[in-house]
Amino acid sequence: MIGNDVIDIIQSRKESNWQRKGLLEKIFTAEEQLLINKALQPEIMVWLLWSMKEAAYKIYNRQTKIRSYFPQKLECSFRFQNDSYMSGTVICCGNRYYTKTNITNDCIHTIAVINPDHLKKVIEIEKKNISKDQYGIPFLTSVQSDSVKDVSVSNHGRFEKVVALSFNDCPLSEPD
Amino acid sequence: MNKEELTAQLKVIIKPYTTNTDAYENFTEDTDFIKDLNINSANLVDIILDIEETFDIVIENTDMERMLDVKTSVVIIETKLAAK
Repeated sequence: MIGNDVIDIIQSRKESNWQRKGLLEKIFTAEEQLLINKALQPEIMVWLLWSMKEAAYKIYNRQTKIRSYFPQKLECSFRFQNDSYMSGTVICCGNRYYTKTNITNDCIHTIAVINPDHLKKVIEIEKKNISKDQYGIPFLTSVQSDSVKDVSVSNHGRFEKVVALSFNDCPLSEPD
Repeated sequence: MNKEELTAQLKVIIKPYTTNTDAYENFTEDTDFIKDLNINSANLVDIILDIEETFDIVIENTDMERMLDVKTSVVIIETKLAAK
């Protein structure tokens, strides 16, 4: 299973005021608010945490078919960080999701999976052969195996990201 | 305030966050904020805060969880107003 979320920081400045009174308290847990307050760039931390929550929620929604707006129930923490990415976990209603976030040029992109080994198997694909099921959850129509049908699509501002899991023994698409 | 007035006020609150004008024009109690109006999920919290300010009520997290469409939001606002 896979979920992803992309945020265009420039677009977010047009759409949202993260400093609005009462906003952070509605969305973030006490621990997350502490991370934001301590961050060198609080704005980036806000959207980094938000993209983790969104990416993880997409898997939760795929698993449970439950639609809900409960950002505080998606509890984020960080595992590892280097110059190119940050990895973390999001816990939601007893489920654990593993995330990896890249931050480059005003673009924050988080991928979430249920097995940390799958983070290495994420590929970006073209936006084609994608349908949605009755719950609005996207899947790939071009592949036979159930294990590689999951796809996640995220758009924001200037960016669009379409990601899937690629398992070596099961190619995502036949060569043309 | 009756249900129609309340729904009309909610419609005004939602307008700045809507990107689908057709769906907004055809606003009904079944309208879904995300599926129909294309509202960015990060802006749902702005709608909740606007509702709190407009109606002078407090929306708990357990109420917020369900506020994804017009019908549910109106019921929650009505309940909160009645309890004031």
